[in-house]
Amino acid sequence: MDLFLHYLSLPYLLRGIGFTIAVTVLGLGGGLLVGLVLATMQLSRIGPLAAIARGYTVIFRGTPLILQLVFAYDALPHIGLKLSAMGAAALALAANEGPFIAEILRAGVLGVDRGQTLAGQALGMTPAVLMRRVIAPQAIRTMVPAFGNESVSALKNSSLASVIAVDELTLRSTQLASSTFDFFSIFFASGLMYLLLTGAVAMIQLIAERALDLDRPPSSRPFARLLPWSRGGRAASPAPATPGSPGGDGPSALPAHAKADRANRAAQLARNGAAVQISGLKKRYGEQVVLDGFDLTIRSGEVIALLGPSGSGKSTLLRCINHLEQWDAGEIRVGGRRLGFRDDGRPLGARELANERAGAGVGMVFQHFNLFSHLSARENIAGPLRWVHGVPAEEADRRALALLERVGLSHRADALPRHLSGGQQQRVAIARSLAPNPRVLLLDEPTSALDPELVGEVLEVVRRLAVEDGLTMIISTHQLRFAHEVADRVVFMSGGCVIEEGHAHEVLTRPKHPLTARFLRVMAADSELAVTP
Amino acid sequence: MHDHCLDDRHAPRAGGGLSARWRHALASVVCLLTLAVCGHARAAAVAAPAECQALQAKYPQLKGKTLVNAINPHTPGYEALDPSDPSKYIGFDIDLGETIGNCLGFTMTYKPVTFAALLTTLQSGQADIVISDIYATEERAKAADFITYSKVYDGVLVAKGNPKKITGINTSLCGATAAENTGYVEIPLIQKLGPACKAAGKPEAAIQLYDNNANCIQAILAGRADTYINDVNTVDQAVKAYPDKLEKAVAVTLPYSVGIGVPKNKPEFREAIMAALVAIQKAGIQTQLLNKWGLGAENLETPKLIVAN
Repeated sequence: MDLFLHYLSLPYLLRGIGFTIAVTVLGLGGGLLVGLVLATMQLSRIGPLAAIARGYTVIFRGTPLILQLVFAYDALPHIGLKLSAMGAAALALAANEGPFIAEILRAGVLGVDRGQTLAGQALGMTPAVLMRRVIAPQAIRTMVPAFGNESVSALKNSSLASVIAVDELTLRSTQLASSTFDFFSIFFASGLMYLLLTGAVAMIQLIAERALDLDRPPSSRPFARLLPWSRGGRAASPAPATPGSPGGDGPSALPAHAKADRANRAAQLARNGAAVQISGLKKRYGEQVVLDGFDLTIRSGEVIALLGPSGSGKSTLLRCINHLEQWDAGEIRVGGRRLGFRDDGRPLGARELANERAGAGVGMVFQHFNLFSHLSARENIAGPLRWVHGVPAEEADRRALALLERVGLSHRADALPRHLSGGQQQRVAIARSLAPNPRVLLLDEPTSALDPELVGEVLEVVRRLAVEDGLTMIISTHQLRFAHEVADRVVFMSGGCVIEEGHAHEVLTRPKHPLTARFLRVMAADSELAVTP
Repeated sequence: MHDHCLDDRHAPRAGGGLSARWRHALASVVCLLTLAVCGHARAAAVAAPAECQALQAKYPQLKGKTLVNAINPHTPGYEALDPSDPSKYIGFDIDLGETIGNCLGFTMTYKPVTFAALLTTLQSGQADIVISDIYATEERAKAADFITYSKVYDGVLVAKGNPKKITGINTSLCGATAAENTGYVEIPLIQKLGPACKAAGKPEAAIQLYDNNANCIQAILAGRADTYINDVNTVDQAVKAYPDKLEKAVAVTLPYSVGIGVPKNKPEFREAIMAALVAIQKAGIQTQLLNKWGLGAENLETPKLIVAN
């Protein structure tokens, strides 16, 4: 026991810990760099890059670290690269850690819900902003345990550097054991030192997990504030919600309309300019034709209900309008501007496309809400305003609160999406899509994922947008009664083209096409709408 | 050199002691990062013989240099950490190397590696010289040139009472298990017993390979191996450490010499080392060192070259 304590406090061994930590830190740091490069190459979907990264992974994950160490130390000098022992150990450990860390990074990135990426794109985020603000913060939270694991493993692997004369703890212990013959007391002592080191890593991991835990109040997460994606200074005293509409300064504000004067409204709409023009739109997935020469013009202030069976191309059409999908032929103009192409006719890159989306003024609401799950309701709205549109933090925050008030959720401003009901989440999502004052709002089956009792609150919000704000909206829906009440025009789609369109009341009550009639009859059970063929 | 010191003294010194401390801290950090095994103090230098002045004049390129000596520091008596100050290596080989360095005007740092990696480390240029109780065989001379300095006597280490009645590298080893270090010359000698064992109707000797002496000795203590055959002084040290559990069965002579390994492509360096060694032997210093470490003066051998053609 005395011997054990003697070796436990022996400065010679304690100094070895310094080298152990140095090899580990250099190896992990280098491994993180290699891993970032490898993960980026693999996620880039550029064939040759991904293949090179795969090849590297096969080689360096598939050979023992001890061979890589000896190679870096003894073989590289033969080609003129003579690294110090520490340099060779750091190089080999980094090269070996790289592929493992790349897989952790990739798993983290791929683990972030695709819908949030789509929502970010729809909001006009460039790939870099999307990575920094939406994907990375969520990925890092899920990667912390794996990184803890990897750090402990790297720390233990650093002992292998003893074979290439890195003067670390294991090399010092074995030499000391040889010279003193105190085999066991020395190895128990160095074992305990390793245990303390790995224990410290475990501690750091726990602290990181706690610091990043979204379910703890922010005041007890001091580190989270330091992170780059942390919310910028919140407005200390949110200004009272400004009444009126965020879309009020939009181009197409219309007075409220009553059910009675539909004809009046129709006449007025006809005088408005076209908000969206779609002509000859064609799109196929492999053999499957999704849009087959689709034509439609939507006037400013008009509310269109897209009806049609599943697979009729409604969602694809909406995504094309926002250019979240590429199409094969045809043209889409929003506010007179042709989307997706440079002036010289060449297609836009991902970043330009994002900027165009932000500029075109097309908002989108998704069936599954797609809120950013690491951000509060308020941040879901204010964040994109700051990141995409450069709105100052205080103003963005004020706008977010005003919009939350409008959708009746100001009391839930700081709640995380997972703590909101489906209906509340969709209302936040609508508020988020309204924040940049869109010209056109696309709603892709906004109530399909909701429990029946929650449908009403969302439809009420959409109805108010139509009635009070006169917002141009294209809504794909199965809610016939809602369509009847809110929509100016109903477009019935099937097989990727328009089967029938016309005034909502006309189409819904006296469909001309047999397909429309059959669809309405089937849906009627839900909608309680009397259909007279 | 002197000029340099003078410059240093006259250089403006802002911050005085603080900057010196910072410089020291910086040096430590550099040390840590470049690893060079800093801080291993040198053994007590032995006065250099008179011929050394002439040798330094003849080989001025070595003067003031710091050479890296690759060692397998698991052999108390030859090379091992100083148990009372583990920041130092001590032993006969260490003293001999320091004396040669003294004679030629260079200093030595050490790179601890496994026995099997001694010559690889020299070949890759990560070390300049190997003085680590390594036997100069024809086979090893393919990887490095050797200048011999000592005869080889092996001891047979066994558990107390020699339960397997082992009497040397002979048929008494048949059916027994020998612990050896990877790369040791004893391994092929034991393997060659195969046919003799077969003729005697006994199973062959088994060999367990380890990385250092301590592990071989532990193998006997743990009952995994029956014997460990290595340099007699190493065996004596082990018996001294565990007098109740181990004993030396017998000593055997092997037809080898212990040698200093130097790179194959540096004939002039080899010449210088050899000349210094001869001078040291002539002055009686090697005998002094052998006695100091209790290795027996009869081990001394006149230097000869072992070089593969």
